[in-house]
Amino acid sequence: MLTTNCPISLYTPPIPWRHGPRRLRPAMAGRLACLAIAGAFCLTTCSAALGQDANKPAAPNHVRSVLGFEDLKNNENCAVEVTASAIRLKGEKSTVEIATSSINDVLTGDDSARMVGGFLGTLTMFAPYSSGRFLSLFRKKLDTLTIEYRDAQGGIHGGILSMKPGFAATLKKQLVDAGAHTSIPIEDPAKPAAAPSGGAPSSKNSEKKS
Amino acid sequence: MTTGKFIRALFSLLLIAGVGAGAVVRAQDKPVRQPAPHAIQILKIESSEIKLPPAFQMAIYERALEEVKKTGIFAEIYRDGDTRATSAADRVVLHTDVRGFTKGSARARQVTTVAGKTSIKVHMQLINQDGKVLLEKDIEGKVRFLGENMRATFDLAKKIAHTLKDNFQKPAPATKS
Repeated sequence: MLTTNCPISLYTPPIPWRHGPRRLRPAMAGRLACLAIAGAFCLTTCSAALGQDANKPAAPNHVRSVLGFEDLKNNENCAVEVTASAIRLKGEKSTVEIATSSINDVLTGDDSARMVGGFLGTLTMFAPYSSGRFLSLFRKKLDTLTIEYRDAQGGIHGGILSMKPGFAATLKKQLVDAGAHTSIPIEDPAKPAAAPSGGAPSSKNSEKKS
Repeated sequence: MTTGKFIRALFSLLLIAGVGAGAVVRAQDKPVRQPAPHAIQILKIESSEIKLPPAFQMAIYERALEEVKKTGIFAEIYRDGDTRATSAADRVVLHTDVRGFTKGSARARQVTTVAGKTSIKVHMQLINQDGKVLLEKDIEGKVRFLGENMRATFDLAKKIAHTLKDNFQKPAPATKS
């Protein structure tokens, strides 16, 4: 029987960083979380930008009523429908219908809003490592449509709608076709003189009254 | 009376006198509030010299209507073009003309806190039916730290309503004889 008195032990002690409990330090966890959020938003922004260019629907179905429509709350999402003689905005609880004959002016514009808005956007102000500020870098473009109309007594109202980019011009065209007035006529893309070569669709916005 | 008590009483007297003098000075600064006219008509915002985006123009008009209504100093408030306004007795008309507009950047504000201020400067005039100017003031609405650019219109409307409230008071209800 072979007996050896080998001084070297076969047992190797565990390396703490390899075999120990896998716990990340809080600072590292925070950094990783920030990186993950940033990555997710970069992806969202890129996909949104690509999606906008890829498909442009004919007319918006949903818009946001910023202000000026009496029965709708401010910043309420509503369904929009343009009929032969009116525009109908259907909110959560009430519906507003404006006859196109009472519309004095329809003007498009552009705006932007934070990608993370609302209550969640407010909460990000308290996020660690100023990640709330970092998230403020990501903004989405918006189109606005200002509708000036008169009520039964002749009083002027001004309603503002916001929607995805590219939709305001389409909605304006629909309203003008249905009988609404506008102080700035719609640019016809078919006209060669009016449209510059390779005219960017983004430059159509921000009409200003003269 | 010990010296400590005397000093304490003297300081108290001085404090009361200081607070009283401050209140008197503040009261003198405030304009004398006239009884408010019965009705007000708010006209659409004019921007003849400065090109203000139409959404801002309408937002100021709508928010001014809301804020003036909230003050409760005018019994009737009419919109621009309202046909009922012409027959209203004791009516004043609020004219607002845009004198300056700086479109800041909401992104710059939210990221840096100090840059990207948006401001709208207007000249307001309150004119009665005889054409006499009752009130005239330059007002600035701004958004400096938090909020989107459109928030400047809200600030401006609140200041317009505040100016009216500082200069007019709700007329006392007529006593029954």
